[in-house]
Amino acid sequence: MTVNLHTSAVSAAGLSRSYGATRALDRVDLALEPGITGLLGPNGAGKTTLLSVLATVSEPDAGDVTLLGLDPRDPAQRVEIRRRLGYLPQELGFHRHFTVAAFLDYVAILKEITGRRERAAEVARVLAATGLESYARRRIRTLSGGMRQRTGIAQALLGQPGLLVLDEPTAGLDPEQRLRFRELLSSLPGDPVIVLSTHQADDIAAICAHVVVLLQGQVRFAGAPAELAATAAGKVWTADGRYGRAHLSWRGSDGRWRHIGDHPPEGVELDRPTVEDGYLLLSHAAGSR
Amino acid sequence: MTAAGPRPAAAGTGAAGPDDDRWPDPARRRSTAAGTVASLARVEAGLLTRSVVVLAGLVAGGAMVYHFAIAPTRPAWWAATWQIGYGQQILALAVLVAAQLAAGRARRDKLSELYRSFPATARTRVAAQLLGLAGALPASLVLVGGAAIGLELSGVLGRPGYAAPAAGVLLVIAAGAIGIAVGTRFAHPLAGVLAAVALLVPFSQSNRFTDPFIWLFPWVAPDQLGWVPGQLAGYPPAAAHAVMLAAAAGLAGLVALALTAGRRRFRLGLAVAAAAALAVAGVAGAVQLRPIPAADLARLAAEVADPASVQHCTTTGPVRYCLYPAFRAELPALQAPVRGVLARLPQPPARLLTIRQAAQVDFTDPVLTHGHPAALRARWAREVARAPGSASSSSAIYLIAGRWPASGAGAARFSLALAAAEWAVGLPPTAGAVYGDGRAQCVPLNQAREAVAIWLAIRATGAPASELAPAGPGRQSAVYVGGTPVVIWNYPGEGASYLTSLGPQPTQAGYLLAEAMTQLPARRVSRVLDGAWSTWLNDRTSQARLAAALGIPLPRVPALPGEAGPPPGANPVPSSPVCGP
Repeated sequence: MTVNLHTSAVSAAGLSRSYGATRALDRVDLALEPGITGLLGPNGAGKTTLLSVLATVSEPDAGDVTLLGLDPRDPAQRVEIRRRLGYLPQELGFHRHFTVAAFLDYVAILKEITGRRERAAEVARVLAATGLESYARRRIRTLSGGMRQRTGIAQALLGQPGLLVLDEPTAGLDPEQRLRFRELLSSLPGDPVIVLSTHQADDIAAICAHVVVLLQGQVRFAGAPAELAATAAGKVWTADGRYGRAHLSWRGSDGRWRHIGDHPPEGVELDRPTVEDGYLLLSHAAGSR
Repeated sequence: MTAAGPRPAAAGTGAAGPDDDRWPDPARRRSTAAGTVASLARVEAGLLTRSVVVLAGLVAGGAMVYHFAIAPTRPAWWAATWQIGYGQQILALAVLVAAQLAAGRARRDKLSELYRSFPATARTRVAAQLLGLAGALPASLVLVGGAAIGLELSGVLGRPGYAAPAAGVLLVIAAGAIGIAVGTRFAHPLAGVLAAVALLVPFSQSNRFTDPFIWLFPWVAPDQLGWVPGQLAGYPPAAAHAVMLAAAAGLAGLVALALTAGRRRFRLGLAVAAAAALAVAGVAGAVQLRPIPAADLARLAAEVADPASVQHCTTTGPVRYCLYPAFRAELPALQAPVRGVLARLPQPPARLLTIRQAAQVDFTDPVLTHGHPAALRARWAREVARAPGSASSSSAIYLIAGRWPASGAGAARFSLALAAAEWAVGLPPTAGAVYGDGRAQCVPLNQAREAVAIWLAIRATGAPASELAPAGPGRQSAVYVGGTPVVIWNYPGEGASYLTSLGPQPTQAGYLLAEAMTQLPARRVSRVLDGAWSTWLNDRTSQARLAAALGIPLPRVPALPGEAGPPPGANPVPSSPVCGP
């Protein structure tokens, strides 16, 4: 399939990026529309590199990208993209002596929200959205890791971005916070394009309309989460004992073994596959090549 | 493999651009770059104003101003405006460190990647931080204002100028700009500290310079400014220094911007502006290095050599006070201890006493006279060598202009009171030895009038016994009179050189008797003195006789270790003369 760079909200064609001898992205084609897209892949698969390109903070060695219909290689259009962009890097630092509100206010200015009232309202909005109102006057250095992550998400939401790039946004969040985060993303106004990377397949299944599996710098799957789960249909089963030819086996809380493999033995009880199952099968297939 | 979104692609195949409204900017905000810079600058200024480093610099700077400009001597505006710079330097170094921390904040806090995703560029942030240096102004102005209040409360002489304090403020801003340039390149906090230390060296050590380049660092350098008998018009050239600092601030700011500049055209513009700033700084520096006009130095030499030609004199009773016009406000402070002595005399002395200011300006110092022919410098040096104050006098006391301490300094008052009392009892208050040149003072050996003079000075100034106490055993010193050691008494202020020349060398015997006299009722002492005043003024009247008249035993002077005199073969010790009639 050929990607039309000018019709999708986010498009990439032939995107490649290397760090020395390591090829982080290898001819990636991508076309994303408004809605939530989850990016799955093991460590080192190129997720963070891809997201940094989408966030305009790094440039590809080869290939073309169009973000919100704009070309990031053009300085003026790059600024325009950044005006509509919210970005949460994977390893986000903080000005530790700033308060949460002061940090968000500072970022809001950097996002060109310069009117005092408008800025104050916007900061209040994202504080409320991330449940940080009561922490607004707290210095960031006194916050827990989860609170800092929420502060990072809050800054990304400033300015109601049309493109939201979130690198592992749920890392460090407790289960309740993860649920709140899902709720937050699902209820963002304006139907933005949201790209998030995660290791949590259940996050993908819960909120993403679209999932991209990146393995060894290449896109190995793109489609709906249900489609990814369906790739494992007939390849997930439960048995009383361990089965040596399965790709992956683990014992569940009921004492029975769950297996994933291309060739289930005859007569076993097949399970309903999940997104995680589909992803694990893809990963295994890529690793065995 | 291609990843395609779940939804059908939007219609249309034309090239998208900034005006494409299929993915509009939800907030629809459009701030100008200037608006972003202004908003960010306000935040940065607030951070700088509240910076602990800057506040610490303000406190340390204030302490420096107090220590150097206010506390030691009665301040004069023509020197104090520069001495305020002592404090501004410390504040400037603190602002440098704080600005470097601010400029390196994003990288140090691992926020560079996030910041690159914002529409505001690194250049915008640097420009905002440069404007945010306005946040250092409150501290700088508080320092200037606080120093001005302190100086006024100390009875500062002269009138303030405005160019030097303005240059001090610019010094702070320039240091901040340097901090931003350093922080833009080096994020580590030590980089700012190292830069501050690198700046501190020329600032703090500039008084070691022996050439005219000292004037490029006028904050520490012009010690002589405090000793000239008034404003040396136009020197140091404060306006030129202010321009040089403004150019330095601009240059540092341009360097900081250049470190973030991407476009070649922008970099070219910065290079042109930097060249202009360098040229301005060079011209301003050259102006500062110009010699002081010969006419001004000639006038200064004349004022030093012949103070009477410009001084105003005020006569109170038998004492005439002659002061340089700029120092007239010191008159009451000088009159007080002298009046205290006169009030305790049974009868006023027959001869007049003149208390005159003398200036000690070194015309061989190239800092002052650089750029002028050696012959002219030598002529000025010869001229000022004839200045009064270096010849013995029994009727004149010479005060060094600019050395009188700020109010409350008891040592200076005691020095003057003792000199006046020595005059009153017939001892020469000016021994004729320029302080420190090694010529011997006369010793009022076993003379009652010495004890009377010391008693008068103590009574006139109310000097506490703890300040007057002689050195303990083992720390005593002696002079030799006719080969015999005489234990001397070092009084408060003796080493501070408030006067051009010391009077007689007081002895510990004289002090101990005077101290014993202060233990007696003042009326009893006065009655004894009044009864035979001319006897006590006689140089042959012994201290034992005075003690007997007062009905007290003559105090014993602790013996010196090795009182037998210098060991055989040692260099001969110069013998001091005994004070005569």
